Amino acid sequence: MILRVAAVVGAALVLAGPAAAACAHPRTSLSYLEGQIMCPTCHTTLDQSDAAAAQRIKAFIQTRIDQCATAQQIEAELVQNFGAGILAAPTHKGFDLLAWWLPLGGVILGAGLLALGVWRWSRTREPDAALAGGPALNGKPPSELDAETERRLDELLAKME
Amino acid sequence: MRSLKLAGQVVALAAVAGLLGLLVWDLTHQKHAPRIGGPAPNFSLRRIDGAGKLELASLRGKAVVLNFWASWCVPCKGEAAMLEQAWKQYRGQGVVFLGVDYHDVTSDARTFLSHHGITYPTVQDGSGAVGDRYGLTGVPETYFIDRKGRLVGSHVVGTITNQANSFRKGIEAALHS
Repeated sequence: MILRVAAVVGAALVLAGPAAAACAHPRTSLSYLEGQIMCPTCHTTLDQSDAAAAQRIKAFIQTRIDQCATAQQIEAELVQNFGAGILAAPTHKGFDLLAWWLPLGGVILGAGLLALGVWRWSRTREPDAALAGGPALNGKPPSELDAETERRLDELLAKME
Repeated sequence: MRSLKLAGQVVALAAVAGLLGLLVWDLTHQKHAPRIGGPAPNFSLRRIDGAGKLELASLRGKAVVLNFWASWCVPCKGEAAMLEQAWKQYRGQGVVFLGVDYHDVTSDARTFLSHHGITYPTVQDGSGAVGDRYGLTGVPETYFIDRKGRLVGSHVVGTITNQANSFRKGIEAALHS
């Protein structure tokens, strides 16, 4: 009986081991970080590389994940080891901010210029329409024929009748 | 409206000029391998076999064997013992061996040094910037620097075990030029 209880307690302790080693925060994943970190020798992200250097960095990341390090901690350690070039995306501070804001600024500027162009185009179209015969009268579209041509056309139509 | 158009043209011209400037800067700052007989590019890197940094210029007056390696590099394992042996053989003659750990995880590099019993100084080039300045094509590669800080001999691309003659000649050139 005592042996049976001891076996149950032992099994419980073995099963409880991993739970005791659980992190205080959600664990990051290797697959996530593989997309965030560059292979220094092949200049692709780790998830696209099987180079020896990439394999060692993946192993390092897995070790640190097992030790409950956060993604930010692991990235910081890799930056300290390899320099900022190891990150697939620039950081959100200092000069690197330009890399984030410049494209956005470009899109906004482009949209503004496009809007300005459309506005100008629509304003120049209105006087043209007026010159071509003025606005529609009684719901009819303005004629694009000059008065002489219209008179000849009427004469021809009258003869045909 | 005309001033707006002019401003737009100025902005577009400035953007094109900026891009051209970047292109010219990139072309003029491309990395080239240093010339044999010319000065060895200086660097100051963190030691991984101890504390602090080591600057190449501080070794002026001594012949230097500069070996680029990495723990993930299989051929580097093959030449480690020969490098250590050569270091012990030549250090009494004023030759310094300096290992440069290239694109490597520090803990892996330390394990490598310990496993292979490397006793000469080793620094870490994690970003690879120094390797780039030397025109490194891979690891291992070994350069020879004379007492005046000039690159001499022909640098060994690949393991020294396969090019023992070039390796010895490089050390002799560093010692006697």
